[in-house]
Amino acid sequence: MLRKYSVQLILIALGGIITYIAYQELVSLYILTVLMFMGVNIILSSSLNLVNGYMGEFSCGHAGFMCVGAYVSSVLGVLLFTKDKIFGAPLLNPDLAVYLFPVIIIIGGIAAALFGLLVALPSYKTRGDYLAIITLAANYIIISLIQNMDIIGGSRGFMGMKKVISNMEDVVYLPWMVIWVFVFTVGSIWILRRYVSSVFGKGVSAICQDEVAAEIMSVNTNKIKTITFMLSSGLAGIAGGLFAYIVGYVNPGSFNILKSTEALVMVYLGGMASLSGSVLSAILFTILLELLRPLQIIKWVVIPLILIVLMQFRPEGIMGNRELSDIFPKLKRFYRFK
Amino acid sequence: MLLSVENLIVKYGNIQALHGISFDVDEGEIVTLIGANGAGKTTSLYSITRLPPPEAPRVISGDIKYKGQSILKTSPDSVVKDLKMALVPEGRHIFGNMTVMENLILATYSREKDADLESEYKRIFKLFPRLEERKDQRSESLSGGEQQMLAVGRALMTGCNFILLDEPSMGLAPVLKYELFRTLKQLNEEGMTILLIEQNASLALHLAHRGYVLDTGEIVAQGSSESLMNDPKVKKAYLGG
Repeated sequence: MLRKYSVQLILIALGGIITYIAYQELVSLYILTVLMFMGVNIILSSSLNLVNGYMGEFSCGHAGFMCVGAYVSSVLGVLLFTKDKIFGAPLLNPDLAVYLFPVIIIIGGIAAALFGLLVALPSYKTRGDYLAIITLAANYIIISLIQNMDIIGGSRGFMGMKKVISNMEDVVYLPWMVIWVFVFTVGSIWILRRYVSSVFGKGVSAICQDEVAAEIMSVNTNKIKTITFMLSSGLAGIAGGLFAYIVGYVNPGSFNILKSTEALVMVYLGGMASLSGSVLSAILFTILLELLRPLQIIKWVVIPLILIVLMQFRPEGIMGNRELSDIFPKLKRFYRFK
Repeated sequence: MLLSVENLIVKYGNIQALHGISFDVDEGEIVTLIGANGAGKTTSLYSITRLPPPEAPRVISGDIKYKGQSILKTSPDSVVKDLKMALVPEGRHIFGNMTVMENLILATYSREKDADLESEYKRIFKLFPRLEERKDQRSESLSGGEQQMLAVGRALMTGCNFILLDEPSMGLAPVLKYELFRTLKQLNEEGMTILLIEQNASLALHLAHRGYVLDTGEIVAQGSSESLMNDPKVKKAYLGG
């Protein structure tokens, strides 16, 4: 009984501990922020792994969808719950923010999923390198769109999200951001794991291996591609929304190809088609970024170098097509990873 | 007629691959399409199963009917799921990274949950005992013959009652070829309709009830297997004198 629910119990305990630490302010805001970025990166890398690892397409525009989610949920939050110079008085009672916060994050995710169609529809007819270029184009389309929308700040960026958070804290004083990042991170992993281990999700790996064979096994490849791309970009949108509220400020420049590359690095570092690999590498990568912060710009020389060395000696990534339970079979007693 | 192809004209881009061919397959029959390379055999098959997706052959005119209904607008997955036609493609197209069993399981992708799959797996393993021995082996490590058996077994697991085979004998040792064809015969006796495409004309005609001879996109001869085998033109061109 206890064994069966051990993972759930560990997660609840972990969430409780983090919330308690944040509530009592036992650690500095800096460490909390890094922890929250970890959550965002976990969502990013595992959702990108769905497309690049499980489905075998090469998407290199993941940050674009993150950008959509970030802007939609930020604008929505500011519009609904705060008094803003451009948008005027709040449309709803600011106290409602505490209940509706997860809803606006999810709406951001849904908007990003719709933008995912930009990539999903061309994927019916193209794949491989050509589709990769389309994903890159999608990233740029989204950024340019936002850069040219003056009402939400254009390339200067958009802010005011901190006020939404302080509204929430006025109602009930809890470290809301920490709680929601944790919940959404666990939720995303749960959804992805359910998806790839379902019968329906078997079609995803079938497409990865041989599309013709998938079709003759009655897999509706177009439907699966649409759902997979939309799920992946939707989760990226959720990561973006959380990112925006953690930082309190967004600008389109922070979702360019460099950010997409970061997501790619995390996926390849962790290993293709391995959710535990993606989680692990997101955590390691976030810590690495912070440890190397004193190096400033040289950081961007060291990190790619680490990647090159890794690819030389371990091209399949940390986990490479395996889950934690394949490496430590004893874990299977506690949890079915697949 | 279970399946009838009527005056089918098909193009790939500007190249015309089929110049208005007609043939039909009745329930419980084994029909074979024979012909040399580039005769349009695979194109005919792909037109029926609507494959492969990115560059599917473009049907210019004519019709393909299944039980009297046109299936030109049917999607590839629905051909398998609803019409119960399964393709064994040229080059096998098995999932190399998956085990033999996973390949078979994947074939049941869109079948009803209450289907009695266990007894069907048993049936496949009875037809191809080699597959049972290698159940948990990665299928890319199988020999060519075993891979072909897996491709046929996998097609059967889709729950089809009409199986289309594209050059199943390609790259197989003679012993394996005969073994495979014996299995096909057995399947047919159990009620399976078979459309067989082959370059190995004599082997195909020995198995089939009826046959069509394709040459550069046109049907040049047709009839019962015996009559084709005795046709001097067919003999000369395809059976080696």
